[in-house]
Amino acid sequence: MLLCIHVAAFRLAVARRSFPNDAGDHCILADKPDRGRVLEVDERAHALGARRGQTVLQACAAAGGARVLVHDAPHAHAVWEDMLDDLDALSPLVDDAAEGTAYVEMRGCDGMASDWIARAHDILAHFDLPVRAAVGPNKFAARAATYVRDGCICAPDEAAQLLAPLPLEALDVEPAIVERLHLLGIHSLGELARLPHGPFVRRFGARAVRWHEYARGIDPAPFRPRPYGLHIEAATFGEGSAAQEEQVYFALRVLAERVCGDLSRAGKAVALLRTAFECENGDMREVDAGFAQPTADPRTILDILRAKLEGLTFDAPITGLRLQALRLEECGTRTTLFANTQPDPQALAIALARLQAVGGAQAHQAHVRPAHLLESRYSTAPFCHGEVSSRGTERRSPELVEGEGTCSTQLRMLPVREVAVELRGNTPARVDARPVVNCAGPWRVDDSWFDDSPLCEQSGDPGSLTGAPVQAPARPPTAKPSGSPGHIVRDEYDVLLDDGMLCRIYRQGEQWYLRGAYD
Amino acid sequence: MVPAAAVAETFASLKAGLEARAAGRTAALSYAPVSSGFAELDRALAGGFIRGSIATLEGSPGSGRTAVLAGALAGATRAGFAAAIHDGTLYPPDLERAGVCLDRLLLVSAVSPLATARCADILLRSRAFGVVTLPAVNVRGTVWSRLGALAQKSDALLLALGGASTELGYFASTRVRCAIDRVLWSEGSGVLRELAGYEVCTQVFKHRRGAPGTVARLRIA
Repeated sequence: MLLCIHVAAFRLAVARRSFPNDAGDHCILADKPDRGRVLEVDERAHALGARRGQTVLQACAAAGGARVLVHDAPHAHAVWEDMLDDLDALSPLVDDAAEGTAYVEMRGCDGMASDWIARAHDILAHFDLPVRAAVGPNKFAARAATYVRDGCICAPDEAAQLLAPLPLEALDVEPAIVERLHLLGIHSLGELARLPHGPFVRRFGARAVRWHEYARGIDPAPFRPRPYGLHIEAATFGEGSAAQEEQVYFALRVLAERVCGDLSRAGKAVALLRTAFECENGDMREVDAGFAQPTADPRTILDILRAKLEGLTFDAPITGLRLQALRLEECGTRTTLFANTQPDPQALAIALARLQAVGGAQAHQAHVRPAHLLESRYSTAPFCHGEVSSRGTERRSPELVEGEGTCSTQLRMLPVREVAVELRGNTPARVDARPVVNCAGPWRVDDSWFDDSPLCEQSGDPGSLTGAPVQAPARPPTAKPSGSPGHIVRDEYDVLLDDGMLCRIYRQGEQWYLRGAYD
Repeated sequence: MVPAAAVAETFASLKAGLEARAAGRTAALSYAPVSSGFAELDRALAGGFIRGSIATLEGSPGSGRTAVLAGALAGATRAGFAAAIHDGTLYPPDLERAGVCLDRLLLVSAVSPLATARCADILLRSRAFGVVTLPAVNVRGTVWSRLGALAQKSDALLLALGGASTELGYFASTRVRCAIDRVLWSEGSGVLRELAGYEVCTQVFKHRRGAPGTVARLRIA
């Protein structure tokens, strides 16, 4: 069940609070004192002919002697926010529909509906506004119940019945629509509800679906709880007075650190900071400091405040200080609790996108896989840091500690090129005319040993060895003897040349190739 | 049973990390140097490579510098993310055997010196990588100056591999020269014989925080 709190002509009611002695006068609320437009009128002014949207002159001419009040938007908003804050005492779920209308989710709250209404009145009594409260099964029914009477309770199965006598204006539609409906002889929600749905919607368009549902006491609009405002401030009052500049800066530093601590905990950064000074002689002064880059760093805040305060003089010692973070912005990064080294996903995504934009740069991630050929033992895929999870730590050997890596020889995959090799006793003695100092091998690699369906269809073509295996055309899966055409058969050697180069060479067919160099 | 001190330390580091991030800074959580992956070299470097600076691993091809690089990448991917800009010659299976977590390593292929510098710029700006490696390309001194400033700002290590130009040598905080001293072969002969590793002599000939000239011998196996 929803409790609707409604203040009719809220802005006017707030403005009238400033003139408590003129309660009997009829009033007009305008946006400007002269040459302004009428925003709201009270019942008496409305009866005399003043209307919303008129100029102040027109409205005053119609409702002679009406008091013209000027709308103070920040004040009205602050009053409404205070009301919403007070409504938190009723239920933690408050939907701020508009200034003057709020819904409170009362499901699960103690007491009966009448108790909720009485409690709401008690809570909001000190605002001195004409508050109406009613309970209904949905937003529209609850709000319409406030039109019926203050304290109205609309049970779920009685919604249509309660709404039936209400005028069409309760739908909050354009006056032109209401007039069209009047011409059709429809004057109340009950009459509207009795209309056949299809023809009515066809005549008035898709919006009419909602009106018809409202008239039948149905409102599918979801309840949207208002987010809680975060107020971060730190103050020091009544702890002596500061007559020296250093004392003020010291106090400011303490407050800045306190504010930054709260900001850090909330994951926010401040873009606008207000500093209020209270002097011994009662003077109050406020200094606003804006930050081009929102920050939560106390040193930055203090530096900016110092610069702001340089030109200020105070007539009396300062007795109170307050730092208030006015504009909070999101800060920090989404991260898991046990992986604080994870980078900001957004920053990473931007970097990858920028790398893609740079011509010729490809960003990827390598995965190792079992294969016979050196060049087939890994594959690459677009970098996806979301899949990192804990795989990196799982593979780590337990004895591995910081600074003690498992070092390993590193092969550099050079572009495959044919080399001239002289053999002595079936082992390489010279590679490209450079003497071989030491040699290990050969190791035979034959991709037909474990696989009957050959992957590669070339033999002796170094160009096709640099990349992934070439998909062979469909062939009957007949096993062929090792070394037959269609299979890659290599004899690989590690050789150390006399110039210190340690490299991997292989023989494929009758040719010799340089595969890589150790580095 | 996990010791209470270790738990407290872990939570302290987590808290420090969250606070640093909440404050809008993605700087490293500590000023600890970047480990090279080799205790001997770390000792020669007075703890490791200086975070937020440019370091070079110099030497001719086949001097063992890639093995040292793999050690640094292994340490970096243990702690976070690393990026390697390369010319397509790095061999991932060997990197993994050296302890590099390939899931945390971004491999970027760049063909020209300018593209290499651009990629390094982008990667450092993202502040997502603790170590960024690249070939020691021949670009103007202003480029290295800019990359050095970015490395400092992002508190990352920019590790250049290869012969350093005068400009790079000027802007590098640490310069390490590598050379293979001895190649190790396993016992046996013929097919039973294989490459067992090599010994790399590393000499620190420039170091911002320590005395140059220190030598460390690393056994790569």
